[in-house]
Amino acid sequence: MRNCALLVAALLALVMSVASAAQATQTVWSGLVIAENVAQPAPIPPELIRIEQTLKALFGYNQFQVIGQSRKTLKTGEEDWLASSKYFALHVDARGETEAGYVLNLKLYKENDLLLETDTKLSKRSPLVIKGPQVGGGQLLLVLVVQ
Amino acid sequence: MKTFEEKWTAWLDGELSGKELVEFEASLPDKAAAEAEKHGAHKLGALLKEQLGAHALSNEDFFSHQLRERIVRENGPSREPSLEASTWWTVRRLFLTGVASLALFVICAVVVIRDKNPGEQSQYLTQILNARVDPAVSPNATISMFETKEDKVTVLWVEGLQSLPADYAAK
Repeated sequence: MRNCALLVAALLALVMSVASAAQATQTVWSGLVIAENVAQPAPIPPELIRIEQTLKALFGYNQFQVIGQSRKTLKTGEEDWLASSKYFALHVDARGETEAGYVLNLKLYKENDLLLETDTKLSKRSPLVIKGPQVGGGQLLLVLVVQ
Repeated sequence: MKTFEEKWTAWLDGELSGKELVEFEASLPDKAAAEAEKHGAHKLGALLKEQLGAHALSNEDFFSHQLRERIVRENGPSREPSLEASTWWTVRRLFLTGVASLALFVICAVVVIRDKNPGEQSQYLTQILNARVDPAVSPNATISMFETKEDKVTVLWVEGLQSLPADYAAK
């Protein structure tokens, strides 16, 4: 009887630790995306499938290509990382975790120039899309998704 | 001097005796018919006694108790509870209660309206706290933000950034 109770307690502790670990470690995908209209559009990247219709409706392009990305697993909510392409870089600085998501400071650089800076509370349920500069016939988009 | 009806009634009840009884029976035109009527009257009287007699109470103790209680209640000091209860609601108290209720309603309404500010973003959506562009690089840039209803995407819409050549789309 006592062994049985110990076993149940151990299983409970294991389940709780796994659950809390799963909750604590979340991944934020950040991407630099070029949206443009082409005759033969490439398939949309898997990270954008969830918001494909919104992207097409909002920006009016039929192809979305990732030119730079980063996938960061957050443990403390205080990490920072960089998603970069040849000319652009998105610096993400996590400044803490809230009940709904993460507080992030985002900076978009074009080579060494700071084009845009923003502070956001990125929700786990709600992706963030930032419309960047026009690039050729297309548009640079910044996308952040909590996965 | 008794009338015939009085003597008849007394004879039926067996209350005549002696000389009076003999004289009365002698005065009867048909004694046999009178006897038959007397017998019938006795039978009827017995039947009525049997059927109309007082019923015995099966719960006489309870009945007595109820009766005593009622007597005590009716003889006790008179009280008028409904009158007392109704007198608490004076016009002044009714007015004050109304004013207090109205004030409470206004306070609740103000609190609810303040909490449900339609412009306020839900905590479960991504919120843009602030955004800025370098005015030296993009002097005409404007910033707006909104959320899409379908898949809850928060959009930071920056207009007027400097356009770049297609080479900048390189990976």
